[in-house]
Amino acid sequence: MAIPKKVKTNINISPRPPQPQYDSGYNGLTTPNRRRELSELITEDGTFLPKSVLHADMDRGMLDFVIEDLKTGVSGKKIPVIDRILTLQRWGEFSQTWSFSTPDKNVSLPFIVVVRQPDVQYGSNPSLQYTIPDRKQFHFAKVPTWDGNRKGVDIYTIPQPIPVDITYDVKIICNRMRELNQFNRTVMQKFSSRQAYTFVKGHYIPIVLEALSDESVIDTEERRYYQQNYKFQLQGFLIDENEFEVKPAINRSLLFFDTNTSHKKSGNGSPSVVNQHKMNIYNKNKFRRKLDYGFEDTPGGTTQTVTYAYKATVTLVRSDNVSSVVYKINGTTTQGKVEVDIGDVLEVVIVKTVGPLATSQVVLEELIYP
Amino acid sequence: MAKQKKIPITRISRFFGSQDFNLEQEMGMEYLHGDIHFTLVLFRVDRKKSDVDDVYGESGPEEIRYKAPVEFNGLVSIASPSNKTYASGLVNQMEPGNMTISVYIKHLEELNIDVSYGDYIGYAETEDKMRYYTVTNDGRVVSDNAHTIGGYKPYYRTIICSYVSPNEFNGV
Repeated sequence: MAIPKKVKTNINISPRPPQPQYDSGYNGLTTPNRRRELSELITEDGTFLPKSVLHADMDRGMLDFVIEDLKTGVSGKKIPVIDRILTLQRWGEFSQTWSFSTPDKNVSLPFIVVVRQPDVQYGSNPSLQYTIPDRKQFHFAKVPTWDGNRKGVDIYTIPQPIPVDITYDVKIICNRMRELNQFNRTVMQKFSSRQAYTFVKGHYIPIVLEALSDESVIDTEERRYYQQNYKFQLQGFLIDENEFEVKPAINRSLLFFDTNTSHKKSGNGSPSVVNQHKMNIYNKNKFRRKLDYGFEDTPGGTTQTVTYAYKATVTLVRSDNVSSVVYKINGTTTQGKVEVDIGDVLEVVIVKTVGPLATSQVVLEELIYP
Repeated sequence: MAKQKKIPITRISRFFGSQDFNLEQEMGMEYLHGDIHFTLVLFRVDRKKSDVDDVYGESGPEEIRYKAPVEFNGLVSIASPSNKTYASGLVNQMEPGNMTISVYIKHLEELNIDVSYGDYIGYAETEDKMRYYTVTNDGRVVSDNAHTIGGYKPYYRTIICSYVSPNEFNGV
């Protein structure tokens, strides 16, 4: 009967405490704690910017993943992993394998080696594909600054990371089926949900198990050994700190006003009074009056009346939906200049361009005599 | 350290023994070193002191450390130069062929050197031209009959080297 290996003596029966600031769920406004934690991982031990993630970093991440997460041992002995991505430099091979080599300087079996395919393809991670053109910069952080006189902030911006797919062949070479089984079990358990993650400079980068093949040499007259190849695809991205931009934010603004005295604006009604000072009195001798006309069959549809308490000369400055205007002072039609005196009643009669169910406006300007 | 166990070689002792082996070897070395006198320079990479990359184990030309160069003698055979191209036939590349060196094991032991995979070997082609090669097969395994005298005992190694361009190695 199988004996359970993982015996938990304590069970945590208390549920995970809710985040106090989101007691009824995430509000969509503030940064969730987990996202803040991930962000801090990216910028840990450095500047406020993320660190570069380049090819060598991802290769190191893959090596660490194989060494740590796929470590395999048989009969209490760990299967060694060559802790380098082997390259063309010949003498480098032995310098990495001397610790488990034979007197003929051959590598002792079993061992695991990580071989990187030299070609790095554009990434297949759908969240990053061809979404932002032209290396557009995006806000990453605002960093306070102090130059001895003024407080300010610097704006840190970075472009979208570039997705890349790197293919690795992880090969186990051994003499015993038990070693193959053990390594296969470790890989299958790790990739039971197709992908696993390695951790590179604060970023979780997915690794997908693509294929498994057997390359064992089982020949009658040659030395026999097992060799299996696990093909992994690391769906990483490139972040190059040379592309980052730091620029100062606006810390002082100057507003310039200019006035043109040749075009004085007329006030509408009485001047404004602010703190007992009259404001907005650019041309106190002129007054503009707007007359609104309703539908033609209503009172005031075509005629508006104004009674004056001052002397003024009236001129038409603007009209809407009006084809012609007739002025009558105290019932008498006036031709030419319209001048009103104190107590006069001015009738403004219009003929509409479009009627009868349409409104019209007339704006009169009165030059007031003192 | 335990003393290495030694096994006496008694095969073909009716016709050939250690004295014969030593004589044959001495005569061969006299011929090769004294008469033929092919001289080579071995540049051994110091794998402990070289500054290597953490991920790839690679080194740049200034990061590789070498042990002191050692002159040694061997029988040299250089293959015909190969006419190759880069970029699908567009960039011509004419390089020397592989160099095969036969060297007495005893000679290496006397010099207290070992030739390892990846080491560099210099060969003076003319008075003013030194070509460098890297060891692609250090001939460490000498179990075949050809490397023995009548099957008695191995006495030489066959080292195969390929040409390296000056940007990889150009002497120390």
